[in-house]
Amino acid sequence: MAGLELLSDEGFRLDGRRPSELRKIRLRLGVFDQADGSAYIEQGNTKALATVYGPHEVLGGKGKPLHDKVIINCQYSMATFSTNERKNRPQGDRKSTEMSLHLQRTFEATIQTHLYPRSQIDIFVQILQADGGNYCACVNAATLAIINAGIPMKDYVCACSSGYVNNTPLTDVSYLEESQGGPVVTVAMLPKSEQIALFKMDNRLHVDHLEQVLEVASKGCKDMYAVMNAAVKEHVSRMAKSMECS
Amino acid sequence: MTSNPENNSSVEIRPIGSLQSCISKPDGSAVFTQGDTSVMAAVYGPGDVKPNKALMDKATVTVTYKPKIGISGVREKALERMIRNTCETVLLTTLFPRSSVDIIVQEIQDAGALLACSINAACLAMINAGIPMKCTVAASCCMMGKDEELIMDPTKEQTKDAECVLTSAIDSSAHSLIASSMQGSCSVEQYHKLMSVCQKACDKVFEFYREAMERTLSKP
Amino acid sequence: MAAEFKTAQPVEYYKQFLKEEVRPDGRELGEIRSTILNVGSISTAHGSALVKLGNTTVVCGIKGEFASPTVEEPKKGYLVPNVDLPPLCSAQFKPGPPSIQAQVTSQLVADTLLSSNLLNYEDLCIKEGNMVWVLYCDMMCLDYDGNIIDACLIALLAALRNVRLPVVTIDEDTGLAELSSTEDRSLNIVNQFAATTFSVFDDSILLVDPTVEEEDLATGLMTVIVTQDGRLCNIHKPGGTPLSTDQIQDCIGRAQTRAKEICSLIDDTLDSIER
Repeated sequence: MAGLELLSDEGFRLDGRRPSELRKIRLRLGVFDQADGSAYIEQGNTKALATVYGPHEVLGGKGKPLHDKVIINCQYSMATFSTNERKNRPQGDRKSTEMSLHLQRTFEATIQTHLYPRSQIDIFVQILQADGGNYCACVNAATLAIINAGIPMKDYVCACSSGYVNNTPLTDVSYLEESQGGPVVTVAMLPKSEQIALFKMDNRLHVDHLEQVLEVASKGCKDMYAVMNAAVKEHVSRMAKSMECS
Repeated sequence: MTSNPENNSSVEIRPIGSLQSCISKPDGSAVFTQGDTSVMAAVYGPGDVKPNKALMDKATVTVTYKPKIGISGVREKALERMIRNTCETVLLTTLFPRSSVDIIVQEIQDAGALLACSINAACLAMINAGIPMKCTVAASCCMMGKDEELIMDPTKEQTKDAECVLTSAIDSSAHSLIASSMQGSCSVEQYHKLMSVCQKACDKVFEFYREAMERTLSKP
Repeated sequence: MAAEFKTAQPVEYYKQFLKEEVRPDGRELGEIRSTILNVGSISTAHGSALVKLGNTTVVCGIKGEFASPTVEEPKKGYLVPNVDLPPLCSAQFKPGPPSIQAQVTSQLVADTLLSSNLLNYEDLCIKEGNMVWVLYCDMMCLDYDGNIIDACLIALLAALRNVRLPVVTIDEDTGLAELSSTEDRSLNIVNQFAATTFSVFDDSILLVDPTVEEEDLATGLMTVIVTQDGRLCNIHKPGGTPLSTDQIQDCIGRAQTRAKEICSLIDDTLDSIER
């Protein structure tokens, strides 16, 4: 392994985490009033914001209304100041387009699309600061925003990434770990049914290790689910309380 | 009218000229010149509007600003917004619901006071088109130099070493401020001085509108 | 009932409130929404700030890059401001190229920077005629609820004061720049400024700090930008209801008070961070 030792002899990672430990998660639902649903999530130093508009009538020339299901329109964008090198285009480059498409596919698989024929749901995610696991943060934030908007889903979608270093699988890899060139597996999962909505892998990984890495990633998704579910419950009970008061 | 000489003591506006109905297709058109600055404006309307842009209670006013060279960018968009809102204020848009008034402003030469000249050209073109208006609008530019000297209607050369350049558009009925934009900074007192100079310059423009209309209409 | 009335006849709805000298959100006519400022929250940027003006939220991140200076001004670095109103912040903005609103706001911010003498641009010089800092100031709106100009300028100013640029040394032999990883410096802000936006309702009533509804209903908008020491930096009035000299004087007075408040808010926030 070139340069950095990703895993110390004592079994700790660069930022002091254990291999199976997630980064510190902070999340909030309903951060903005303008949108129908919004959520903010911090996973370590990765900060993402998601807003959902809709379901509303189909606008713009691009999409045609579908008679049997809702159109899901996702846009992923990264703030120009979110990375170490300044990004010239916040969206529209190949990477963001790919990311938007991935998000769209993920949510088409989980939102109950048949409930809103001839309409459209817009999901906008914005990365404010990038430190690895951007896709995961986006999926988690968007899930919370959709729940906040009250759009029915089959289940939560939780995403988590995992890497593989020195025969040890790592959960929730940071930018530093991502950029060392090791394999990174990203999984978006419906935690209750354990169905995988999206699976993505960068670099090569021996097929013998795949099961192990996938295991770790799905464990990460379930942990993520526990945190998100707790936040949603807390948010809802707070809302209920404020409604009682008024 | 005396011209603005290059010495800095001028409280005179540069010579104004205009040419109306200069192009045949639009409903109204005018070229407005102030010194070497020259702008052409054309007005189409009230006419058809795209269904998605139609407003049910008033006319849709659009302004397109064309720079002399190149394609329009952010600066032109800002100018367009300024001219559009100014024209919309003076037009009686409520008379023409679900229709459009399109104004095209073409820069011919920029030698200072471009925004003011554009607003004046647009106003003259609207008068020429005979669209009902609440009142007319005149804009003028005024600058304050390093030694606090005030220059009415400065040239581009003069604005290079200006402390503050003020462009304001004033309506003809109440003489109150419709649009204003400023580069540089000045104290509140200096601002009021600049405004009073702008007022004077605008009065000249109003006078000119009248003369120009009389001239145009008295043609055999 | 109130909601239906508001949707069907927004102007009448507002008039009912304004008759009682109060706005639908409970504010008085001249009251500004509460302003919350947070600086340095984005560690990938050289300077950053997040401003909440009521519901309107703007985040500004500043990143410095090397660039070669212009031939006319070999010692001066420059600032490149940009205002982004992504579709995320409001349903009124569609995906695609920047909206006109965003472009106009960017231009106004750029003009204001030019005319305000905010900082000494020669501070940004690394090597004369060869290398200077260019600071990209990206302001992004996260929640759009009116008065974007005020919020952008507060965010920009706070972010600029939060900027820490690494000290650069130029290697004599190779001519390459080296960034110091330990030493950094802040910018020397000479002249601070703040904007106050007014909207005119029904050709007569002046409202300060309009929300998006008030902006939509407004017959005119005016932004007064004042520097810390009370000098006028811009009176930006893009058309709309004509205003008399007295009204403008009144607005200038209010803007001067507001500018002092904003400057002390920024001072307090930065102090609390450093402590």
